[in-house]
Amino acid sequence: MLSTYWAQTIAANRMAFADRTNFFLQAGGMLVNNLFFLLLWFLFFAGFRSVGGWQLQDVALLLGLIMTIVGASGVAFGGYRDMAATILRGETDVLLTQPKPILPRLLARETIASGWGDFVNGLILLAFAAGLSWSDLPFVAFALLAGLTVYVSAGVSFASMAFWFAGARSFARDLTDFLILMSSYPGSIFKGATQVIAYTVLPAGFVVLTPVAMLRDPRVETVAAVAAGALGYAVVAWALFELGLRQYRRGSAPIAG
Amino acid sequence: MRFTSMSLAQTERAPRALGDLRSETSIAFAALGFGARQTIAAWPVLMGRCLFYVLIMAVFSALWDTVWAERLSGTHLVSLPEGGLAIYVGVTEWITLSIVSVHLRLEDDIRSGALEPHLTRPRSYLTQKVFEAFGGMLVRMAALGATGLTMLALSGRAAPDASAFAGVAVLGVLGGAIGVLIYALVGLFAFWLRRVLPVLMVVQKMMFLFGGLFAPVTLYPDWLERICLITPFAAHIFYAGYMTLEPSVELFAQGLGWAVLWLATLAFACASVWRAGLARLLREGG
Repeated sequence: MLSTYWAQTIAANRMAFADRTNFFLQAGGMLVNNLFFLLLWFLFFAGFRSVGGWQLQDVALLLGLIMTIVGASGVAFGGYRDMAATILRGETDVLLTQPKPILPRLLARETIASGWGDFVNGLILLAFAAGLSWSDLPFVAFALLAGLTVYVSAGVSFASMAFWFAGARSFARDLTDFLILMSSYPGSIFKGATQVIAYTVLPAGFVVLTPVAMLRDPRVETVAAVAAGALGYAVVAWALFELGLRQYRRGSAPIAG
Repeated sequence: MRFTSMSLAQTERAPRALGDLRSETSIAFAALGFGARQTIAAWPVLMGRCLFYVLIMAVFSALWDTVWAERLSGTHLVSLPEGGLAIYVGVTEWITLSIVSVHLRLEDDIRSGALEPHLTRPRSYLTQKVFEAFGGMLVRMAALGATGLTMLALSGRAAPDASAFAGVAVLGVLGGAIGVLIYALVGLFAFWLRRVLPVLMVVQKMMFLFGGLFAPVTLYPDWLERICLITPFAAHIFYAGYMTLEPSVELFAQGLGWAVLWLATLAFACASVWRAGLARLLREGG
């Protein structure tokens, strides 16, 4: 399973890199786009210093994590972005006749060139602006892995709605965009209903907020919370996809016109 | 693809006579109505946009409420109105979310060759697409404006004066039109670039930064504020948003002046880039 996934991911990245001008324009464009976004936060903290106890370094850590996670998922699991459309177009049919698992193949079928810009930007932020030290490296790697798992799992869960609803394409993309939006702001601003949303339907809490808490205060409890979040969302995504696929195999899934 | 340059270039000539001008105006109004009707027909998408507006405002108002609640001394907090900047951001987001993605339509048509049949018709393709986008923008502004006013009423925040609302409405619509022209300009780069997304991402963030999406540019350092105020991005969102904080006839007149200037400049820029792009397409093919 892993070797097929790996070969397909490499092929998708080679295809994206084949059109070099477009590749560098997209990756570079994202890099400049992120720089403007960072400049906005820099100006914000120059004027206001703190948001509910979060300072510039904490936001840099948060943005470093979310940029690296969104970048890595675009590069290595780019198919998640438009998976609902792939399902609705009936493109899963071809994969059903083949012996390899379907979900990894759907995830690896595309790559998002701008993801490289996010990825590089995120790593630079984590290395130079987030106030981390070398001893944090294992926790950073764990936080990225867990955040990536939750983010891609959420993407798969949103896309799996396409097995039941014809209008899932734009809705799944919108939900993913909402998730990125909520993951780009300090955790201290989420209270009441928004906090419930951030730890359930749009799991920004488990993509970045719990990992940030773990990196700032690495204890057994925070590590366990990050691990449990990743495991929980991965199981939910896998279950939803398999349930949907069963529906699809029976021929009851909607097809886009 | 290649076109017969003579006949196609003739169809895209600038209107010379009064009759041509009348015809262009009627095309523009017809396209405006068509764009508005299209947006109303796609009401579920419009509802989705309103939902996004609610969510984004929940995040931004929570951000400003948190900053306001901390009351840190020695910060810009003293320059903020009571209750923070939630209403200001509500206006800037209202304009930003009302802009129709005209660049995608232009990019698709230029890249796919769907532009070709339009060039053989005696009506300006660019005028039609831009005015369709204006029509869609007006419907979005009405829907998002109603959503924003409902949120304001439910939040219990003190609303600005009625005169400020009138100023916001005028400067907001003009600012939205500036946004559409900026997006159109980005879309026209498809004559030279395969994908305009990288250009859009950069321009969009410039709109956010120089336009003051999160916070008014008056909170920036002086040198940056001076630069921001003369860009089209300030005319796009800042002046309309700032009318909720310090409404005055002077501010309205200043915003109106910049908006008219930038509308004229951007319209001229769009027409020039369109002509240059079309000349390239006719010369070299797509």
